[in-house]
Amino acid sequence: MSQSYDRGLIEDFGRWREFSAGMWAWIFHKFTGWVLVGYLFTHIAVLSTALQSPEAYTTTIQSLESLLIVRLLEVGLLAVAVFHILNGVRLLFIDLGIGLEAQDRSFYASLILTGAIVVASVPTFLAGVFG
Amino acid sequence: MAEHYSSFQRGGVRWLIQRVTAAFLVVVLAFHFFLLHFVHHADEVTFGMTSARMQELTYFSLMVLFLVTATFHGVNGVYNALINQGLAGIQKRVVQGVLIIASALLIVQGLRTAVVWAGGIPI
Repeated sequence: MSQSYDRGLIEDFGRWREFSAGMWAWIFHKFTGWVLVGYLFTHIAVLSTALQSPEAYTTTIQSLESLLIVRLLEVGLLAVAVFHILNGVRLLFIDLGIGLEAQDRSFYASLILTGAIVVASVPTFLAGVFG
Repeated sequence: MAEHYSSFQRGGVRWLIQRVTAAFLVVVLAFHFFLLHFVHHADEVTFGMTSARMQELTYFSLMVLFLVTATFHGVNGVYNALINQGLAGIQKRVVQGVLIIASALLIVQGLRTAVVWAGGIPI
């Protein structure tokens, strides 16, 4: 039987020491979601330089990509996006009724896989920025 | 303990669209990253390369769909997060209005840029 109860304000971050794996997964999903939606608006703003002229677009992109800080931020964006994708797949399966009993392990798997993909991608993301 | 867990609420259209767009975005976001960072490197991007891709109807329509679904999924996610934080009443209505306007502006700006790249709608 399912039960329903008033759980009050869901995001009570003051209780973070008591959080379980599922709660951390939920917080990380929210955090990465906020970063991605913020980036979406920034991304369209940068791409909109194409409205000025083709040269303005090419110069803007290539100038940004020559900066080490931008490359490092892109690695961070990759980490955020990969975690959001993997944890999102985990959530879709759980909503389909698959894997609820292993939801903590699938969260840890999402974290480990995110770390592995990001580390493996660092050389590609930093290629050419040092000269 | 529920025998079958789902966060689905009957009649929750936004809930359903959030999941459908999620399933689409999982594939397209991964494709987008792979194409623009691994197949091509981001520092090699030029207007001409982007323009060539966008003149293909398949790629153009995929990117337009990507823009619309990502905007909905992201902004609806923000709205849900704010509701979880206790947003209600007049504040909820104001935030709803601001998010709808922001989404519309983002989509219009993205579409304008896409049309410039493609040199018109590639039909």
